[in-house]
Amino acid sequence: MRMRRVVAGLGAGVLLAAAPLTAHHAFSSEFDINKPFKFRGVLTKWEMINPHSWFHFDVKGDDGSVAEWMIEGGSPNSLIKQGVTKHTLAVGTEMLIEGYQAKDGTNKGVGRNLVLADGRRLFLGGESNLPEKKPDGK
Amino acid sequence: MNHRLLVLGGFFAVLATVPWLSTRTVLGQARSGSVKTGGAPATAYAVPRTPDGQPDLQGFWTNATYTPLERPKGVTKELYTREEVLELMKRAATEEAEQTVPGTVADVHYDFSQFGLDRSQGVMALNLRTSLIVDPPDGRLPPLSAEGQRRAAERAAARKSRGGPHDAVQNEPLGARCILMDRNGPPMLGGAYNNTYQIMQVPGYVMILAEMLHDVRIIPLDGRPHLPENVRQWTGSYRGHWEGQTLVVETRNLTDKFAFQGASEKMRLTERFTRVDAETIRYQFTVDDPATWTRPWSAEVPWRKDSGPIFEHACHEGNYGLYNTLAGARAEEKRAAEDAAKKKSRQ
Repeated sequence: MRMRRVVAGLGAGVLLAAAPLTAHHAFSSEFDINKPFKFRGVLTKWEMINPHSWFHFDVKGDDGSVAEWMIEGGSPNSLIKQGVTKHTLAVGTEMLIEGYQAKDGTNKGVGRNLVLADGRRLFLGGESNLPEKKPDGK
Repeated sequence: MNHRLLVLGGFFAVLATVPWLSTRTVLGQARSGSVKTGGAPATAYAVPRTPDGQPDLQGFWTNATYTPLERPKGVTKELYTREEVLELMKRAATEEAEQTVPGTVADVHYDFSQFGLDRSQGVMALNLRTSLIVDPPDGRLPPLSAEGQRRAAERAAARKSRGGPHDAVQNEPLGARCILMDRNGPPMLGGAYNNTYQIMQVPGYVMILAEMLHDVRIIPLDGRPHLPENVRQWTGSYRGHWEGQTLVVETRNLTDKFAFQGASEKMRLTERFTRVDAETIRYQFTVDDPATWTRPWSAEVPWRKDSGPIFEHACHEGNYGLYNTLAGARAEEKRAAEDAAKKKSRQ
């Protein structure tokens, strides 16, 4: 597990402390630090909606039952700017989902990491690392 | 490792596209012997004109930055060296792109690079300033006036009487409720994402579309009076005029609910947009609110040329987060009540 590096020197620590990431809402209010999860799921729907995108997965339990999960992701504008579109990821794709469950205990979570079957993390580094290349091959 | 290399590769690609600002800023300041740019005349750059003769500010711009509004404590100088700021930006980009420690509050979030939220993946102007605030010279907000202190206490008491931040939807921050975010302002300040703006000009008007909340300011230039005092708006009453090559926008009639940095509704805002080269707009603003601060204060942010188009950001479209946050708070209360009941029954 890669850990956040300790930043020291040059006042970098204070610079970052003074410039927090102002997200749309406080994730820690919505999701539970004490409910981390890691499971495999099959993408059934991808909502490219504001202010955050939501990924829907079917998750198979040990007893063979299937549960539906919703996973929160980045804003559509941010994704589109990186060349990601609604068609980038095919429905039916299986992936490993790592995150934290909603505090109300329902099957919702924040997707800390979405990892494809071959080990690549989703959208990492932009277009070059996407599971599918654009139609024009670029 | 692959991850980090990709991110840093993107970071340097961005910097490679913005050599001007870094070198020009340093040289310009060295020549003038002053680092104060508030109100300074535009550079020798000949700003192109629109067909009706306005200086042309049109296009897509971003105010994405890692520079904080206030100078960090412990930093005493106004400017970093180019080497220092490059190192700071590299570290900030690395920090943003790396995984946080599992089991910490910061980790309850998605990965920034994975979801396009890492600022170093996009265009960003290089800013040597240690703070966006340029006046007062210490780079920090001036002290509160007596009235400002009294109102801050009153607001805190009022907030307390309404209950916790998640007790009612009205207690949630304006951003979580999709009403207004710091990228909209006014003044318009960068944040973690959706930092793009589009400026369009027609005879008599300048229009600024903010990517965040898809909010638009249509600024009249014809010298019409401000709205009547009793008409208060989230983004105020704003009127523009040209001073040479600088667009000056004056805003008043804000609402008490907005309270930018704790300001009163009497706050007057003056924004100045100057295109200093083909790739950069110098955005300056001055906040004047004696009902809050002992003196006016000013800040400066470079806006860097970006690419479009801007996609719609219909913030309420799928704002499940607001529901989830409130539902989470209710679940926690229930759990706490159950724990308390169990404890009591054991006694």
